[in-house]
Amino acid sequence: MAHKLAHISAALLTILLWLIATSGQVAAHHVLGRPSYALNEDSNTPPALQVETWIGDFDINYMVFPAFPRPGVPGRINLYVTDREDGRHFEGRVRFTIRDDSWAAWLGFGRPEETLGVQSPDDVVFRQGFIFSEGGDYIITARFEANDEPYVIDFPLRVGAPPALGPLGITIGVIFVVLAGVSIIQRRRVLTGKIRGAHEGRE
Amino acid sequence: MEMEAMGAAGVMVHPGLPQAWGLAVLLFVLATSAWALALPGVGTAPTGHFSLSAVPGIGHVMRYFIARPWILFLLRLVFVAIFLLIIAAGLYGTPIPERNAATVLTWNLWWSGLVLSIFFLGSAWCGVCPWNSIANWLVNRRLWRRADASSSLNLTVPKWLRNVWPALFMFVGLTWLELGVGVTVDPFVTAILALAMVVMATVSLAVFQRNAFCHHFCPVGRTVGFYSQLAPVELRPVDPDICARCTTLECYAGSATVDPCPTHLVMGRLTQNTYCTSCGNCTRSCPDANIAWRLRSPAAEAMQDARPHWDEAWFMLVLLGLTGFHGLTMLPSWEDGIIGLARVIGDSGRMLVTFSAGLAASLAVPAFFYGLAVWATRKLVGDANHSFKSLFSRFAFVALPLAFAYHLVHNLGHLAREGAGLGAVLANPLGVGTLPMGAAERQLRMMDMFISQDALSALQALLMAFGFLIAVGVIQRRCRGLVKLQPGRVRLTMLPLLLFAAVFTGFHLWLLLQPMVMRL
Repeated sequence: MAHKLAHISAALLTILLWLIATSGQVAAHHVLGRPSYALNEDSNTPPALQVETWIGDFDINYMVFPAFPRPGVPGRINLYVTDREDGRHFEGRVRFTIRDDSWAAWLGFGRPEETLGVQSPDDVVFRQGFIFSEGGDYIITARFEANDEPYVIDFPLRVGAPPALGPLGITIGVIFVVLAGVSIIQRRRVLTGKIRGAHEGRE
Repeated sequence: MEMEAMGAAGVMVHPGLPQAWGLAVLLFVLATSAWALALPGVGTAPTGHFSLSAVPGIGHVMRYFIARPWILFLLRLVFVAIFLLIIAAGLYGTPIPERNAATVLTWNLWWSGLVLSIFFLGSAWCGVCPWNSIANWLVNRRLWRRADASSSLNLTVPKWLRNVWPALFMFVGLTWLELGVGVTVDPFVTAILALAMVVMATVSLAVFQRNAFCHHFCPVGRTVGFYSQLAPVELRPVDPDICARCTTLECYAGSATVDPCPTHLVMGRLTQNTYCTSCGNCTRSCPDANIAWRLRSPAAEAMQDARPHWDEAWFMLVLLGLTGFHGLTMLPSWEDGIIGLARVIGDSGRMLVTFSAGLAASLAVPAFFYGLAVWATRKLVGDANHSFKSLFSRFAFVALPLAFAYHLVHNLGHLAREGAGLGAVLANPLGVGTLPMGAAERQLRMMDMFISQDALSALQALLMAFGFLIAVGVIQRRCRGLVKLQPGRVRLTMLPLLLFAAVFTGFHLWLLLQPMVMRL
């Protein structure tokens, strides 16, 4: 049994090493930071959606104003790209695009990707304005090139209220299908039992 | 006194346990270890118990309550209502986690308070569990009476799933979602998780016999089940002789009006709380009213010679690994550490790969050291009749009090310092029109503790000592069972596991001495 434990430990360590070895291929230069909501009490800045992370050689900080964008209301993205080694701000150009992140998009029926704009730094900040005509889940992508390498920063953005019936509808649907299926199978079982009973009665 | 402060990275942190208390616990650990080694024959499993139904007045009230299903139904109704509120708040409320009832009630109150509830009430949570209640109502189409046999397919759970491995993997998955993906700060995903639990419980109940979800799959239920081995309450026969003579086994098979035990337990043979879901079916179905709640020593069950299965032993070790991991992820230095590691391996963004590697390591390290201690014990026992697997399972109970004590202490800290502001969230569960919490409000909220800092520190230190004391009791008793009547050999065989328990208590103590990052 000690061998078995050794095998299990070896398997866990292998997974660990595999994760370490493959992580570079999986996630390099692709950012999906965890958003948080910040309130700057010391200024008149409105609440913002903020993510801090890094990508390759750069620290990334992006903020979305307002924190809860709504359709038809103008908003803005502020993107800060700073070299991790020397603290200098990136001075190239950043291209902002937007794509659909809805269920339909996952199934290949989403709206095509659109370009929001190409921005140069304005006092070390890349500012990109936006206005959404429709609410929904979107992915904003910022792309730039540095040291001959492409960098892609994705961040999710919800515009407007979340879908009223999406997850709830799916839950109710799944439960309904399962319960209906069980009910049908049980009725068939009862019917089959009755027929079998009748046959056995005749014999 | 050190108060809450902003961490280096701008995050709000709680102060750690004062060093004096840390030193006191350390001295207790050393003294207890020395005592256990010096007197290996001293210390027996406390077997005494006290039936609550025998208490004048209270006993009558308890008998009245446990005999009436509608009382439990009303309790379930309350918890289902809160659960539905959480789902509604998560789906339709503000995404600001500290203002939304979904995240505050789920992660700040329930997830922190659940472990504390086990300390007093055992597996009572499972008795009122909302996703199981909803699943039962939907599938059985009964509020409390016995379900129609045709309401479920009643399939037998496949043999390869008849263990706690599914619950173990789900628990690891839940931790990954909680700490890695950050479900705790996302009301919408919290609601999705709640809905997923309802779906899984319902599908399982509709397909499999009895409550297979509670028995094999539910990560919360199994955690509650294992920890409730250390609870001071249990549902047991009042008179074991009545159960010994019983031939009808209503507790197992149910009666005309009461459902059978959802986890296939026979009360007359029950020795562990692990799979009891406190549903009360046995108390209502027993024709002799022979099942009742009773008080006992929290050490009674873990110290007795029960034989856990291989999968159960692993679950207890995973509990030990994950509780420590929770503590690690809430250290202010965790983020710097994980960022450093991520940079080395080229991970970025949410650092999920780095996080997963850390999670895997947190599971592998306790398992490795425990395996090493068991291997050394086996060598010291020198009896070929005891396989590594049987010893591994036999001593896994050592991990349970260590994990439970740290889990209690850690959650007590969260609950005491982050429990304030609950009223505001309940008054506006969807957080309509609210703004994110500012630094000043966070500071005020953390200082508004329901117990004093000193009392909290004392409680935390006592609980750590309590965990280690029970672990030592488990080691003593189980080692004595291996090498009977040979104190010298008992002393020797205890050493590796005693070292294991002391090292992990030391690690947990070190975690407690560090400042801890606020959850929301």
